[in-house]
Amino acid sequence: MKQEEIDLFEKAQSQLESLHSEIGALSKKSQNDALNKFKLKFVNQILVEANKILGKNYKPFPDFEVFNEDEIPSNSDATMVISQYLGCMEKLRTDNIISKQEYNGNKYLVRWYWTKTGKQTFPPIKIKEN
Amino acid sequence: MNIIRPRLNDFFSLPFRQEDVDFIIPYIDEDVPFYIDPFLLWKSPSQQDNSLHLNLINNFNFLGHQFLKGNKDCIDILINCSECNEIGLGTSKFKAGKRIGQKTSNEILSLYKDIPQITKSGFLHFEEIQLFIDNIAEDRVSDITANFIKSFLIDYTIDQCEKLNIPIQQVDIDYFDNKTNKFITDNVFLPINPNTKRSILFVPKRWIRQTTFISYENYCKEYYSPTILKVGQKPERVKVLNFNRNNYDLVQTYIKIRELQQTDCKNDPLFKQIPVLSAKRRLDTIIKLPTGKTDNADRIYEDTLCPLLASLLYPHLDFAQEQSRTESGVSIRDLVFYNNCSEEFLNDIYTTYQCKQIVFELKNVKELNNDHVDQVNRYLKDTFGRFAIIFTRNEPPKKVTKNLIDLWSGQRKCILVLTDEDLKLMCQVFESKNRTPIDVIKKRFVEFNRLLPS
Repeated sequence: MKQEEIDLFEKAQSQLESLHSEIGALSKKSQNDALNKFKLKFVNQILVEANKILGKNYKPFPDFEVFNEDEIPSNSDATMVISQYLGCMEKLRTDNIISKQEYNGNKYLVRWYWTKTGKQTFPPIKIKEN
Repeated sequence: MNIIRPRLNDFFSLPFRQEDVDFIIPYIDEDVPFYIDPFLLWKSPSQQDNSLHLNLINNFNFLGHQFLKGNKDCIDILINCSECNEIGLGTSKFKAGKRIGQKTSNEILSLYKDIPQITKSGFLHFEEIQLFIDNIAEDRVSDITANFIKSFLIDYTIDQCEKLNIPIQQVDIDYFDNKTNKFITDNVFLPINPNTKRSILFVPKRWIRQTTFISYENYCKEYYSPTILKVGQKPERVKVLNFNRNNYDLVQTYIKIRELQQTDCKNDPLFKQIPVLSAKRRLDTIIKLPTGKTDNADRIYEDTLCPLLASLLYPHLDFAQEQSRTESGVSIRDLVFYNNCSEEFLNDIYTTYQCKQIVFELKNVKELNNDHVDQVNRYLKDTFGRFAIIFTRNEPPKKVTKNLIDLWSGQRKCILVLTDEDLKLMCQVFESKNRTPIDVIKKRFVEFNRLLPS
């Protein structure tokens, strides 16, 4: 991935995480309550960006693009879809990063970098450190 | 076209909502049960309203002073002022009320002779006459007010008609002229009632209440009974009116109290939504109700759902009326709403299905069948166009859904079916205000369109 793509990716991921946190909290309070139009508009904007980044191969659902306002999606619907997108974003990231072992004069550290650009990133979420 | 409870804008196919306009939309065949309260003009922060009130009081007091001078024309003028059919307010079912008689007019104007304080200073709130004269209530006060400020109402009506493209015609109208202090006839352009051919005047919503702020009932309840009567005694109308004439000081005190309470005086909304808690209670009642007719369950379903739907769909759909009809020995209850095209999909329904009024049929049945659909289908004509909504308990079976699609394919009729689940969602969004209940109907409409063959 190029530097511009990584920047867009990180922005979209951060927005998705915030949305997941906010709407998840709403969903815990009232899961069947309808998501209001204001939030829905921004959720859809971010999903459009995420769809561009993920492409056909990484999209969580092939036939889902954005929420249809007329279908009155609920808080739990939005939380579920956003969590799926977050999972797929993480998969895309994991497939485009490599680890490097570096000696800092004291001990060896494993650091993760985006391939091609060498920009540092955090380790894959699913790999636990020993 | 047979429009149910037609309003002026329905007749001219102008689908605006009551909420969107500044005035009360008049009915063609009946009056609106509200009244102009001059107290609202008096307390209004608007200088224009205050000026109109001053004008009204000056005109009324002018009649009183003319009476004191022995000029009997004022009695006839007051009789003319006591009825104003053009404004369409009151409880008359036939849009034409009756004026007061000579005797009542004489009694009213005699107050200027009999009560020294009124002889000296006149009235500031002429609606006080309700406290002295029998058979004078908010309807007369409203009509007298309208007649004295009719010149303003004429200009206001013309202005609103131009804004909203309501057709107007040249017509003669009588109104009280401030310069000559007489009723004169003028030729103006005003909207006309298509049935009675009489001119129509619009009244601003900000001036109307269900009863006047100063009224006989309020006076008795809040002032006369607690201060004058003994515990357990009930006020007798004639005695109260006589007492008031002989004890004007006490009436003045009451008026002063009302003036101090002026912040409590607000115009009454034409439609009041039920509170959220009440909506939730009604929903609970419906959800727990058995299907069918056992223990009058169908009646309870209809009685509970009617006000609930009217509130949920306000202001997107103005409620027209509920009605009952009998078909093949079965009593069917339905609700009729005006289709104001306030949403895009309502506009689609208006243009595609020629639906000027949306009918909601209520069916407290466990399972909808094709007979129910046929009942609704037969009812679809005239103002309902080719669109209806059935409210029932459960999702229809596949054969009924197929029938509904076939109905569209063959006759281009659209019948939506909404269930308890949709009603729950409507109540939920009514409470949370995240979406509007009308969006639930839109959701069903979109889902139905997706099922249709291309």
